[in-house]
Amino acid sequence: MTLTLILEQTFNGLQAGVTLFLVAAGLTLILGIMDFVFLAHGAQVMIGAYAAAAITQATGNFFIGLGLAIPITFASGYLLELLIIRHLYRRDHMEQVLATFGLILFFNEAIRVGFGPAALYSDLPPALSGFVEILPDTPYPAYRLGVIAVGLMCALAIHLFVSKTRIGAMVRAGANNPEMTAALGINIKILFRLIFATGACLAGVAGMMLGPLTSVQPGMGEPLLILSLVVIIIGGIGSVRGAFIAAIIVGLVDTLGRVFLPSILRLFFEQATADGAGPALASMLVYILMAVVLIFRPTGLFPAKG
Amino acid sequence: MTGLFHFANLVRAGIRDNALLWMLIAGFALFPIFTHFADLPFWNDVAMRIMLLGMAAMGLNLVLGYGGMVSFGHAAFIGIGAYCVGISQFFGMTNGLFHMFLSIGVCGALGLVIGYLALRTTGIYFIMITLAFAQMLFFLFVSLEQFGGDDGMSIDRADFLVIDLYEPLRLYFLIWVALALVALGLMFIVRSRFGVTLRAIKSNESRVEAMGLVPLHFKITSYVISAVICGLAGTLFASWQEYVSPDIMHWTRSGEIMIIIILGGLGTLAGPLLGAIVFLLLEEFLPLALGAVAPAYAENWMILFGPLLIMVVLFGRGGLIGLLDKAGFARIGKRKMAVK
Repeated sequence: MTLTLILEQTFNGLQAGVTLFLVAAGLTLILGIMDFVFLAHGAQVMIGAYAAAAITQATGNFFIGLGLAIPITFASGYLLELLIIRHLYRRDHMEQVLATFGLILFFNEAIRVGFGPAALYSDLPPALSGFVEILPDTPYPAYRLGVIAVGLMCALAIHLFVSKTRIGAMVRAGANNPEMTAALGINIKILFRLIFATGACLAGVAGMMLGPLTSVQPGMGEPLLILSLVVIIIGGIGSVRGAFIAAIIVGLVDTLGRVFLPSILRLFFEQATADGAGPALASMLVYILMAVVLIFRPTGLFPAKG
Repeated sequence: MTGLFHFANLVRAGIRDNALLWMLIAGFALFPIFTHFADLPFWNDVAMRIMLLGMAAMGLNLVLGYGGMVSFGHAAFIGIGAYCVGISQFFGMTNGLFHMFLSIGVCGALGLVIGYLALRTTGIYFIMITLAFAQMLFFLFVSLEQFGGDDGMSIDRADFLVIDLYEPLRLYFLIWVALALVALGLMFIVRSRFGVTLRAIKSNESRVEAMGLVPLHFKITSYVISAVICGLAGTLFASWQEYVSPDIMHWTRSGEIMIIIILGGLGTLAGPLLGAIVFLLLEEFLPLALGAVAPAYAENWMILFGPLLIMVVLFGRGGLIGLLDKAGFARIGKRKMAVK
């Protein structure tokens, strides 16, 4: 029984972790390479989720929804960079915080005007709504398993892209030293725009996959944004590898902490104290983790700048 | 006696150099007369909110504008200040002065700890670690069920010795006095050697270090002062709202007070107050304006507000004080005192 629960929750943690990674992967490059504090990344998650949910509802086919939502999120990221973001690279961090905060307000409100304040729900296709036995007598939702698989595949693809291709080398060079990279004749503006659009697209994929698991509503991306910022800081700004490891750690710590911390505390404290402190401590756990990491390694676990 | 004269001279010079700030504060003192004769009692409420957020923004501005430390977690101190009232009342302590001292003590201690830890980092990492601490406290209060958890707790206005805060305008002038004292205190701090050093650290930290000073000490001190001011604003906020929930320390509130500062003018004394006035008036009037044009969408005023913020960043450098400077009112804005 307990083993089943642990296994199930570990998978839930992995699923949360890979979703976080998809949001954090683009954001860590935006923060690292462009030195740009982009708070509206959560809005990309929301755009992805809405695009997928709306198209799924209109066409009745889940996979058409996913397929069309991917280019939509890519285009939204591309346009956003072209119209607004590129004017802000040279500004200081505070102005970037302010402008992207304005973007959050705008996107949330625009979605509310377009789709109404109520949440959208999308049903899973029958092929994905079943259960898979990961161990004998341990059924696990197929869809969540699919999310983990897609997330891991994306992570692998990003890893191969960044470490093996020519553009990937430019990205790494950009993360290490943007000025020198530009001086070597690499068109850093186009590079920035593509990274931005790809990052938006990955965040959108996270949103699409989350759609059937949570409710699709205005502002749904912000909790994810804050958590992915934690991931990025723990992993080291600009490091995709760091973001992956940190995302898995944060996903597992958050999920397992919420489930098991109250019962662990019960071993050491009285029932009432443990029940009171457990949930409080569990929801603070990832932030405590981040503070500890920063105190001992002020630039994260895998700093990209050298 | 000479000390007193010296002090009076300092105050006079400070008021002369920050005419706009003191004009605004005087305006708040006279505002209830206007609302009384115009029969608009609702606007007293708005004015109180403006003063409270303005006070918090002035506190944050010491760190953000003068010290150059982009703290994205100051809403936590506002929230702690408010919960100091809520939790003391929960345990039967209704004395307002006690709430204030408690809030000053708790926010000061917390500011010291958070400042000490967070200031080990710089740049984006500093922004994020301050945000993380604020989130930590936010979730702490969300999960404290005995103090209302997510739903918050309702609060009675505090007892202030002989002053009954339920009488009309008592709370208004309590807030006003607090605002004036905070403004006076900040004016002295900014004009003191401490303030000059703080600005020097912002423009070049290693030079300050080379002069034999320890920048970290100045940064932490200013962080604690700003935390205490935000806590004080939170304490009064609780009495004004008669209610406190974790919502008061949501991370968007940290963004809100940052916006107020930048809108008004970073690193100026009058800026945050001016910013609070304009920000909250926009919040009141944008729905009305939008409602006049497209009645169905009046409550979606944020759709205008967001782009407006982006415009302010893209085109309005230096905030409203900067605009006043350009328009030739440099003397009242006294931009000379500001960095840049």
